[in-house]
Amino acid sequence: MPSFGTLESRIVTLFLALILAGQGVAFFVIRNGITTNEQAAVRDQLELGVPLFRRLLEEKTQSYTGNARTVAKDYGFRQAIASHDRETIEAVLVNTQERIGASLALYIALDGQIVASTTKQAPGSLEQSILNLQDAAERDDGTAGVTLFSGHPYQIVVVPVRAPITIGYVAMAFALDKQLAAEMRELSMLDVSFLVSMEGNRWAVDGSTLDAEDAQKLADQLTMGGEKINGKAEDARPLELQSLQLSRGEYSTRVLALADGGDSQRAIVVLQRSIDEAIAPYRQLQLRLIVITAVVTVIASMFSFFAARRIASPLRDLTAVAKRLGDGDFQSPVEIKGHDEIRKLSVAFESMRGGIARHEQEIRHLAYSDPLTDLPNRARFAQLLQNAIQQSAGKTRTCFILMMDLNRFKNVNDILGHSFGDHLLRLVAQRLVDTVIHQFVVARLGGDEFAVLMLDTSEDEALEMARRILMALEVPMTLEEQSVDIGAGIGIAGYPFHGTDARSLMSHAEEAMYVAKRGGNEAVVYDPAQDKGSEQNLSLLSEMRRGLERGEFKMYAQPKLSLKTGEFVGFEALVRWQHPTRGLVFPDQFIPFSEKTGFIRPLTRWVLEQSTKVSKALSDKGISAKISVNLSTRDLLDQHLPDLFLALMEKHGVSAGSFCLEITESSIMDDPVRALATLERLHATGVELSIDDFGTGYSSLAYLKSLPVDELKIDKSFVLKMESDASDAKIVRSTIDLAHNLGLRVVAEGVETEKAWALLARMGCDQGQGYFMSRPIPVPQLEPWLAAWNPPVLTA
Amino acid sequence: MNRIRRCCRGCRIAVGLASVGAVLAGFPMQALCADLTVQVHDAKGAPVEDAVVFAEPLAGATSQKTAHTAEIAQLKRTFIPLVTVVRVGTEISFPNNDPFKHHVYSFSPAKTFDLPLYSGKSAPPQLFDKVGTVVLGCNIHDKMIAYVQVVDTPYFGKTDAQGTVRLEGLPNGKYELKTWYYGLPSRKQTLSQPLVMQDAESTASFSLDVVRTLPPPLPGH
Repeated sequence: MPSFGTLESRIVTLFLALILAGQGVAFFVIRNGITTNEQAAVRDQLELGVPLFRRLLEEKTQSYTGNARTVAKDYGFRQAIASHDRETIEAVLVNTQERIGASLALYIALDGQIVASTTKQAPGSLEQSILNLQDAAERDDGTAGVTLFSGHPYQIVVVPVRAPITIGYVAMAFALDKQLAAEMRELSMLDVSFLVSMEGNRWAVDGSTLDAEDAQKLADQLTMGGEKINGKAEDARPLELQSLQLSRGEYSTRVLALADGGDSQRAIVVLQRSIDEAIAPYRQLQLRLIVITAVVTVIASMFSFFAARRIASPLRDLTAVAKRLGDGDFQSPVEIKGHDEIRKLSVAFESMRGGIARHEQEIRHLAYSDPLTDLPNRARFAQLLQNAIQQSAGKTRTCFILMMDLNRFKNVNDILGHSFGDHLLRLVAQRLVDTVIHQFVVARLGGDEFAVLMLDTSEDEALEMARRILMALEVPMTLEEQSVDIGAGIGIAGYPFHGTDARSLMSHAEEAMYVAKRGGNEAVVYDPAQDKGSEQNLSLLSEMRRGLERGEFKMYAQPKLSLKTGEFVGFEALVRWQHPTRGLVFPDQFIPFSEKTGFIRPLTRWVLEQSTKVSKALSDKGISAKISVNLSTRDLLDQHLPDLFLALMEKHGVSAGSFCLEITESSIMDDPVRALATLERLHATGVELSIDDFGTGYSSLAYLKSLPVDELKIDKSFVLKMESDASDAKIVRSTIDLAHNLGLRVVAEGVETEKAWALLARMGCDQGQGYFMSRPIPVPQLEPWLAAWNPPVLTA
Repeated sequence: MNRIRRCCRGCRIAVGLASVGAVLAGFPMQALCADLTVQVHDAKGAPVEDAVVFAEPLAGATSQKTAHTAEIAQLKRTFIPLVTVVRVGTEISFPNNDPFKHHVYSFSPAKTFDLPLYSGKSAPPQLFDKVGTVVLGCNIHDKMIAYVQVVDTPYFGKTDAQGTVRLEGLPNGKYELKTWYYGLPSRKQTLSQPLVMQDAESTASFSLDVVRTLPPPLPGH
């Protein structure tokens, strides 16, 4: 039998429960009915027994009365009486007695004297009994009663003899004996016992259908409860014995008083019904019912078991199939059986299996291979690496991975297009596969990142492999009639030296790769020391994020002034970080890192937002100031920046003319195309653009000319040395001249002395900023500074 | 009522016959006689009809056994009259006026006879020659019953509906005045009281220990 949780067992259980409930209810209802019935049956039989017994007695009495009447009316008989012919009278009586089977017959004169009798026995109380019945007999032309004669109960009928007035009575009696009891039993299935009272309040059985032993028991039990039985024959309310225990079990009874004899002797009849006998047929019925219930239950159980099996067994098969499919076995086909819903389900399973098998193959392919190069992808590589680690574990084996990133691929992709880039990647992949020994795995991790998994190798072998790869890549690639020179940085990490799982190994190889790339085309083995720095950086980044959220960053302003007039024209917005524990942090300590990690973008946004707020505040106070904000390379690549800036200006109700965005030469050079696009969109908003730190990069003025810039800021290194170094002064002067020729405004940074101010003013430099005027100050101090500012009086 | 009237008529006839008998007996007319009126009532004082009243002279019977006759007819399964009182030696005939036969009998010791099935007047008259009560029955019809009281005195009669009977011409002297009533218990059907007639009309009464209003004990169904 399967466990209860299965469909099969539930069906069987349900069926069984229903059957048992149904059978149980039926059984109990029927049993109850039987019990009620049998009790009622016993009661009814007894209730019916009483009138039946009376009826029987009545019938016999009637018959006797009839016979007695016939005799009494017989002319000859009356003649015999009239002539005192005792012999004839007696002969008639004997004849009649024999004919009707009476126990005795007699003729009694009006004076109570027995004239003729068929018995020689002493009449005892008989005479009196007859005289007692005389009036009723006279009135009703014959009556009957029970009398005791010689200690035995008799039914006696008394009929008057009329000639034509009453001259005497004919009496006939029959014994209430065993024979009558048997007759009664025949009719009613009741046991009948006649009892007479004896001296000492005892009862004796005088004829019964019971055997002698039971009759004695009955008499004994009656004797014990006998005081109740004192009714007269007339008020024939049957009495009931509480319970009668005889050898054949319990009996239900009714007791009828028959006669209350003259000499205080009494007679009763007890009708008895054996309860066991009465309920025997019901017991039989009950037994049959139990058998039927059992048989039906067994048959129904078997039926439900097989039915459930039929339903559940194919489902179980299909469950096994589903489990198999779930375990990933899509190869073995599903067996299709039957012609019903199960078959449909099987067919559906089979088609599902086929579909899943196909899809799985596709997904597996997609999931584990790179569609461009058909090399394993990152996930597959990680898997293979993990497998390799598991194989190597505990076997003193080592394995290494090489991770490489192509240099300048982004440029190639941007300049020559994506399809070219894809083509190039395929070529690189091919070259790698050609270079690497067959049993090693080459994978493309994504973008221009590739990796090699080397099993059972040493670090030296890994380095050697890296060198070979770099060499292979040094050979320029010719593609669509273009020759592309592409290099790579390779990071190396090995198991178990640099990590014990695929994830850490790959991450470490990647870090080593970044180190390698910073150094140009080389291969670097992972060094845990590198990791420390990155950990610090990681914490720095999260601190910066938190700082930005908590408002730890403050905007500082360094005023820009017209060198000609000494007037305040605006300021450069700068960022300081009020670190909770490190104190004030200067930009050179977090800006480069921000640029590297991309944190610069939220930071720039923050500065832009602050700037627009400040601009609005200043213009509300009637102070006009052009605010310069520095943009980084990443900002320039952020295509959303122009829209964001526009939205900020609109939000705070300030015009684009109040801003100048400063960019460095190098920031443009990283991705000139995208940077230029962003710059043009920014310029289109009306904001001014400025080239910052001019002179430190390699960009030519000619290139600058193509940019939509309005201002040029000379790097402070030139300005600071200008006073002491004539060549620097010359550079500054020529730069100013050139810029002016290109229509650009020139701003000098690092103005620290009045002399420098004067010099720059003479050179025609438009504006300046520096410690001479003011070091960067918190924005709220700008106004006090303005109030205190006194421009130097210059001598031409 | 019919029956009562018939009874009365029957009475009168009987009394008439008795008077005739007395005259014919040749009593000296000059003898001092008087009439006796007897009232019979029951325990509640109600008149009792059909009670036989007769006075027996203590001085001895003056019986002249002359032939007398009487008649007890049968009509509609009834003996008419119900009660007849006759003097010893009376012959009674039993004419059957019904269209069917009757079987008149008597088992009474005073007169036992048997007239098997007969019609009309075919049955021979019966001589009632002993004093006593004779109960007549019909063997065919159990309900038919008649009583004949045979007395040995010329002074007899039976009460009318008023419970009264008048005995005429009783000579002076001592009598035993008796009444017989069928409704009394069979062994005490005759009551008697002493009577002295002394020239004058006299009255007497009997109180019967019966309730007259009850119907006479007739045979059962």
